[in-house]
Amino acid sequence: MSIPGNSSNFLTIVLVLIAVAGIVAFLAFIPNIVKLVIISVLLAYILDPLANLLESRGMSRTTATIMIFIFIVFFVSIAYIGLLPLFAAQISGLQEGFNPERAGLVISRFEEFLMPYLSFLGIKELNLLGRTQTAMASAGEWVINHVLDAASIVTSMILIPFIVFFLLKDGREFKKGFVSLVPNRYFEFTLYLFYKLHAQVGNYLRGQFIDAIIVGTMTVFALWVIGVKYFFLIGIFAGLANLIPYFGPIAGAVLALIVSILQTGSLEKVFYVILAFTIIKLLDDAVVQPVVVARSVHMHPLTVLLAVLIGGKLFGILGMLLSVPVVGFIKVVVHEGILNYRRYRTA
Amino acid sequence: MNKIWENIFRFRKRTDDEIDTILLKIPVFQELNKRELNKIKRILHQREYSRDEKIFHEGDIGLGMYIIVAGDVQIVSGPDQILAELCGGDFFGELSLLDDAPRSAAAVAKTPCVTLSFFKPELLDLLNRDPQLGCKILFKLAWVIGERLKSTNEQLRVISCQKQPGSTSEI
Repeated sequence: MSIPGNSSNFLTIVLVLIAVAGIVAFLAFIPNIVKLVIISVLLAYILDPLANLLESRGMSRTTATIMIFIFIVFFVSIAYIGLLPLFAAQISGLQEGFNPERAGLVISRFEEFLMPYLSFLGIKELNLLGRTQTAMASAGEWVINHVLDAASIVTSMILIPFIVFFLLKDGREFKKGFVSLVPNRYFEFTLYLFYKLHAQVGNYLRGQFIDAIIVGTMTVFALWVIGVKYFFLIGIFAGLANLIPYFGPIAGAVLALIVSILQTGSLEKVFYVILAFTIIKLLDDAVVQPVVVARSVHMHPLTVLLAVLIGGKLFGILGMLLSVPVVGFIKVVVHEGILNYRRYRTA
Repeated sequence: MNKIWENIFRFRKRTDDEIDTILLKIPVFQELNKRELNKIKRILHQREYSRDEKIFHEGDIGLGMYIIVAGDVQIVSGPDQILAELCGGDFFGELSLLDDAPRSAAAVAKTPCVTLSFFKPELLDLLNRDPQLGCKILFKLAWVIGERLKSTNEQLRVISCQKQPGSTSEI
């Protein structure tokens, strides 16, 4: 009979679950700090290979971290000086360009064009204009609440670099410190999990980041060639949106289509925009992704889709962005945990 | 007050020196200079085991090697077949730095002991960050495994000679 062993295992599992629930409940009270830490961890993860590269050239970790920060400040300054006029022109153009009367006219014309094709579905009125106005208003409200909140920008601008700096410089010591708390029995297994997570999730994140930059650049170039207004802003959006599987690329294309229709008041550029996004998507899938996201988290497309939907429902855009790496993390932990469960149970 | 600090630093220095001495006895780290040794020390994990505690189990995923700082360790195969008894300054499990095969035997602390462990993820990371030092370690590791192979071949030769009476090597 192994009842004492089983009850002790059961007690351990219950205690671990209570501890996990306690930590999750605590984190739920400080969502903003959690968001800052998650973003910082992601940035530190992305910058880690760069720090390793500088270290391999003979620098200490601290010097390598300082060099990376100097480079980032330099790069951001150059980008700020070089791209700000273009960025500002496009932002002000965006504010002026959407003439409500003209937009209303275009949308009404588009609705008239669509209605004969939709009548067989029993749809009598689409009210596209009303829906667009509501969507624009809520989007504006979201931007003001989330992006242009001055206090949160200042806090993020100070805290994120601060956290990233120390994660990059002392990340290994943090990991070693954490591992030193793990009991002997699970010590090597914990390190093995870290190793697996680092290999799968880390490479996925870095790959996606590089992929987003490439897709963003291709989109900017393609829309500039086609002559779509605000090509720079849409390119940035498309690059960032590309981080979200399935939905991201469609969101980028839809935005470009809306802008092109509102800009010309006709469907003349629609074909070229769709063609450009199709080519970019094909290039991304056939050339970019296999090279930069080669060792990604191997997951079934349905799992990815559900993960993105649940992540989006629970935590918004950040949830959609993080859903795949988080599910990859859980997959590795569960997979390796089950593989090793019997061994650790009988130990 | 100064004496307290002196003692604290003396203690730390002595521990560091002890670890340096132990590491320099291990063939894998023998040819490292002070700077390189410090780099290695930063990635080693120090663990303490009580008497009869298992350091790892037979069949576990092997992740790296263990160096005994203090105490005695038994390498055990199956329920009770003792393959080796090791003491302070010895090391074991180094093959796991190179392959992904499960542990072929268990390691059990015979007395309370302290170990330093050096794992594959850290070795790979080191190869990335300091290829020169990583290569030095890999080269010495290959040498150690080569020596073990030679020794195993020798043992096999002796055993096969014992099994074949009248063979030339017995003369």
